[in-house]
Amino acid sequence: MEQELTRLREEARAALAEVTDSAGLEPFRVQYLGRKGGALTTVMRRLANVPKEERPRLGALANTVKKEITALLEQKKQSLASEQAAVNCTDGLDLSLPGRRLPVGKLHPVTQVMEEICSIFEGLGFAVAEGPDVETDHYNFEALNIPKHHPARDMHDTFYVSDSILLRTHTSPMQARIMENQEPPLRYIAPGKVYRCDSDITHTPMFVQVEGFLVDRQVSFADLKGVLTSFLHRMFSDDLAVRFRPSFFPFTEPSAEVDIACVICGGKGCRVCKRTGWIEILGSGLIDPEVMKMVGYDPDEYSGFAFGLGVERIAMLKYGIDDIRLYYENDLRFLSQF
Amino acid sequence: MKFTLSWLSTFVSVDDISPEALAEKLTMLGLEVDAVTPLYQGLEQIVTAKVLSVTKHPNADRLTLCQVDTGEETVQIVCGAPNVREGLVTALARPGTRLPDGMKIKKAKVRGEQSLGMLCSARELGLSEDHSGIMELDKSLTAGISLTQALDLDDTMIEVDLTPNRPDCASVLGIAREVAGFTGQHLRMPVTEVPELDSGSSDFSVTIEEPALCPRYTARKLTNVTIGPSPWWLQRQLLAVGMRPINTIVDITNFVMLEYGQPLHAFDWNKIRDGKIVVRCPGKDETEFDTLDGTCRTLQPDMLMICDGKGPVAVAGVMGGLHSEVTDNTTEVLLESACFNPISIRRTARRLNLPSEASYRFERGVDPDISLAAMERAVQLMIDIAGAVVCDGGVDEYPGQKELRTIDLRPTRVCNLLGMELSAKEITDYLQAIEFGVTGNGEQALRVVVPSFRPDVEREIDLVEEIARLVGYNDIPTTMPLIRMDYPVRDELRELRKEISTVCTGQGFFEAINYSFVDEKHLDRMGLAGDDPRRRVTRLLNPLTEEQAVMRSMLLPSLLENVGRNINYQQPDLRLFEIGKIFLQHEKGEQPEEKYQLCAVCTGARYPGASPMYFSGQQADFFDIKGLLDVIIVSLRLSGRETPLEFVAAVDKEHPYIAPASGLSLVDDEKEIARIGRVKPEVLRAIGIKQPVYFLECDLQQLNALPRAQKQFVSIPKYPMMKRDIALLVPEEVPAGELLKAVKGQRAELVESVDIFDVYSGKPIESGMKSVALSVTYRSPKKTLDDVTVDNIHEKIVQYLMTEFGGRYREGIK
Repeated sequence: MEQELTRLREEARAALAEVTDSAGLEPFRVQYLGRKGGALTTVMRRLANVPKEERPRLGALANTVKKEITALLEQKKQSLASEQAAVNCTDGLDLSLPGRRLPVGKLHPVTQVMEEICSIFEGLGFAVAEGPDVETDHYNFEALNIPKHHPARDMHDTFYVSDSILLRTHTSPMQARIMENQEPPLRYIAPGKVYRCDSDITHTPMFVQVEGFLVDRQVSFADLKGVLTSFLHRMFSDDLAVRFRPSFFPFTEPSAEVDIACVICGGKGCRVCKRTGWIEILGSGLIDPEVMKMVGYDPDEYSGFAFGLGVERIAMLKYGIDDIRLYYENDLRFLSQF
Repeated sequence: MKFTLSWLSTFVSVDDISPEALAEKLTMLGLEVDAVTPLYQGLEQIVTAKVLSVTKHPNADRLTLCQVDTGEETVQIVCGAPNVREGLVTALARPGTRLPDGMKIKKAKVRGEQSLGMLCSARELGLSEDHSGIMELDKSLTAGISLTQALDLDDTMIEVDLTPNRPDCASVLGIAREVAGFTGQHLRMPVTEVPELDSGSSDFSVTIEEPALCPRYTARKLTNVTIGPSPWWLQRQLLAVGMRPINTIVDITNFVMLEYGQPLHAFDWNKIRDGKIVVRCPGKDETEFDTLDGTCRTLQPDMLMICDGKGPVAVAGVMGGLHSEVTDNTTEVLLESACFNPISIRRTARRLNLPSEASYRFERGVDPDISLAAMERAVQLMIDIAGAVVCDGGVDEYPGQKELRTIDLRPTRVCNLLGMELSAKEITDYLQAIEFGVTGNGEQALRVVVPSFRPDVEREIDLVEEIARLVGYNDIPTTMPLIRMDYPVRDELRELRKEISTVCTGQGFFEAINYSFVDEKHLDRMGLAGDDPRRRVTRLLNPLTEEQAVMRSMLLPSLLENVGRNINYQQPDLRLFEIGKIFLQHEKGEQPEEKYQLCAVCTGARYPGASPMYFSGQQADFFDIKGLLDVIIVSLRLSGRETPLEFVAAVDKEHPYIAPASGLSLVDDEKEIARIGRVKPEVLRAIGIKQPVYFLECDLQQLNALPRAQKQFVSIPKYPMMKRDIALLVPEEVPAGELLKAVKGQRAELVESVDIFDVYSGKPIESGMKSVALSVTYRSPKKTLDDVTVDNIHEKIVQYLMTEFGGRYREGIK
């Protein structure tokens, strides 16, 4: 009898699993738990014939099995009911239909990258300053050690408004403007639009630049390398290869161009990096003592470094944009990608 | 600056370094290599061949049949060149080879005669522009060797992008010096055996009237000159760096300029009048001059000229004159090797719009100490190549001679600025390797003598840079600066721009960025009056195009152009905004006022990007742009200075681009903060836009000046609110907003809020009237209001509205 009970338990369990809708529940109940001829009921009736000393143990077992089967049945009933409820309440709704989307706009990719650049430097304690787009020759050139008729002016194809007023060719004028009015230590970045009369596949006449500088006692070229390397690592990736090579800017000495391993080909050489594996990304250098003197700093007491970078170029590298002219056409198919 | 490895190797050995490694090294020294180009590619299969016999082609007058020794066999080749003759050694392309222009040579029958290859001209092989006949090679060459070997064509061209501070490297010699420096070699200078300049009297004189503009002028006379084509070795160097060979004399002056960095000029001696050279500025009547490119130039009184006894013969350091130019008939030459003031040359070259190889070098600074050596090098070549005879004597006027510059260099300064330890000995070694003189042991400053070819090294810091680049930037340590902490100041306007951008993108607007310069016609298109302040534009003197000629004084025109362009690209549902500067030129000759503005436009579907299943047919209208402004005001918690911000009708006359009666101004006590409206259809049509566009313009300085409401907690109401609706018929012309204001003005302590929930006119409502349905929420902070109280207040308000606005109940609704 004991075996019979265990067998019944397993049998009922299996049979219940086969039931798929609530209509199958009643026949199951009748088959196992029915008062008249239910399988379990039948077995329990035979308890009276069992030897007396066995009766309590087998009785308890039979009760347990009955309770188990009843509980299973109840469980099944509920799960079938909630399935049914789900079906009822969706009312046959097709959930695969699109969501009701309210419009979402995005910032221009140049703004996005510029904000990212600014926030990295702000994290390093740099302040953000802006200056006029229409600048004087003095701040754009003279104060940065680029006198009239200096060949370095060839590097800047300048839009002029008058003899002494022009569209800034870089945001470096802020360096002179800030140093003129404040004492070190100074840490600033100056983001903004700059202008050069140059327009072709790789140049737009307006572009966005971020220039920055740091001045204090005992600032060295090694410090310049440290700050710019950590900026580039934050901006791109921590294992990015960075190299510094000599260059020339009239307002820095020594001057350095900073290259990063080509992010397109990983340094193997491709069209973007002109097969060199390197991409020029930053101009930098120690601030020239002449620039320091012009704002009244003693170059033997203070030293510092300055740097500048083009935002569009970084956006191109980060997002793989291959045509610079797309930036200022404001085609929605472009703007919505970033 | 371009040079070939073969040319470089006449000064310094580069056998142990690959062209790529050399390029890398130069780049890391600050001479950025732009290109490493192997020369004469594809000529390996072209061979030398000897013409054994030439007979006429039986079927063609101009063609010949040649028996040609290819070194392996004798083959027949059909040739049309005028100079083909027996015994000629020339270049042969055999069947199966490909010429540099891609043409493949095949076995062919030419007018019935077999031809097993092609005899080639220099142009066909990409060696020069010469196509007058097939190549004439050295007769001693054996047939069958590759042309690359025969002409020593295994070479590489390297192009360096020079920075303006390194004029010394605008020469093969200068590059060679750098290479010698890092490879530890000594330069091999070309040997000259020219009789000394002051070995006798000369039959010409040189007078420098402007010594400040001409520190040195050397000149020599050569006779018996043969003008003709230059030999191949010279031509190929010029061709490799992109210069066209002309004749022996001109080619030699160019060659030496590229080699030494010293521009030279050769005059036809017979055109120099009175045997005199005078370096001076033009006289009053000398206002025009024909340069050798055949152009008549207008002279300015301060342009330095080379003159003879009668008048100008060259624009000093820029270009020679047409009439004293060396021609095929020249037999005697006056050779000039001089040094001119960089600023003067730069100014002249700019004003004449005449950049030349010579002016490029003079502008950056030519070493005056090289003048004589360069001249002797050129004289030697003229003797060797052009059969010239150099006359005794010559002139070397050197009014600007200076002692070599000396600079004190503190080793501690070097270490501090570079952030690394270097001993005085190491510093000395680095500088001496590039021909700087160094004395002293470094306990005090080192005394450094700067060679004359480095005019850019003037100060201690310039020496620091030299040491840095010789150490190698990548071998300098990388550290982080130690700097005192402080809290960076925040630019309020920048913060405000960020906040507004966030609101705008959140409202579904995409950010646009347009050029700061625009077409002035934009303002006409917008219909601005002649005296509108936005007409005072900042004009560029040298715009790229008329479309970018003035700085923008408003943002809207560019955004409308963006809308037009997007519609053309089949994207008619748009929400765009831009935050940018406008420029207002108040005073002529001063910097304009620069103000940040926000401009936004919306057009097309109200919910762009949503599935067409939803919101179908809903088009953006005025209230979408008004909604944007509302959200900005709410998000920024803006309140008016004295009175709350208010909308008033925009003055159409002042903003003629707003459609009639379709604009509002947001004002703070009379001061306009922002403006919204529908753009006038005529304005849109001019840009090709046919759908309605709504805009927002806002001055951010004004916006920033507004006080912001403090965040101040108010207890959440304890007592319930009660709602009452009113449906009123009022005359059409009563603005619904006035009803709202009026309700708020009544019993304000109990009226919590009022909303309009319907406005309707048309049947069955009589004409001239409209129905406005308001819902008023009443609440007391002190108690639960009962129906009676609310009904009483409500009735009073309704009565007030009816008397105030001439309204009455709408039938059927109370």
